[in-house]
Amino acid sequence: MRPTDFETLLRVLLDGEVEFILVGGVAANLHGSARATFDVDVVYRRTAGNIARLVAALLPLEPYLRGAPPGLPFRLDAETVRAGLNFTLETTAGDLDLLGEVVGGGTYEELVEGTIALDLFGRTCRCVSLRQLLALKRAAGRPKDRDAIAELEVLLEEQRGV
Amino acid sequence: MGASWATREWRDPVTEVYKPHVDRSLLRANLRLTPAERLRKLQDFVRFLHTVREAGRKARS
Repeated sequence: MRPTDFETLLRVLLDGEVEFILVGGVAANLHGSARATFDVDVVYRRTAGNIARLVAALLPLEPYLRGAPPGLPFRLDAETVRAGLNFTLETTAGDLDLLGEVVGGGTYEELVEGTIALDLFGRTCRCVSLRQLLALKRAAGRPKDRDAIAELEVLLEEQRGV
Repeated sequence: MGASWATREWRDPVTEVYKPHVDRSLLRANLRLTPAERLRKLQDFVRFLHTVREAGRKARS
């Protein structure tokens, strides 16, 4: 098992002109979180054109269902993405979660208004705001997120100079 | 949905219990970095952790 290559995963999506929003642990790190994360979570736009770009961009990374037994007839193509919604994948560059919808935030279109644009590798990458990230974590309602929520709230306080 | 993000303010008493345990010095150090530098820092840590885990795995085998 190789460590997740965050830059490669993000570059592939950005270079492929995929419309997506970074959420989850990588988004938290971009806001200043000190908590480690091992996968990339993105909310992708579910238009036909974007799904085609998404599939084309990821194909070289050999996406496969994470944790599934090898040899399943899984193929990440446009038909598969259209028929599904959220996909937890492993790729040659590490783990990637593709979310058509995220609990507490909805779809790409519902989430995009409050996002921020970050400069990564000379490209613009959309990322949830710190407040959005907090709302998503709270909505997920997972006990394991208590520490993460506390950290995000402290980050907000630090940014406000509290 | 987007318009409500900016005004939402709520303090969960359970979260308040966790907050004093957050290391603010780590966060302040990260806030001095650019987002790209923060990503690089995460990448370095994950690679380091992988190296340590692999070393442990080899030692056990």
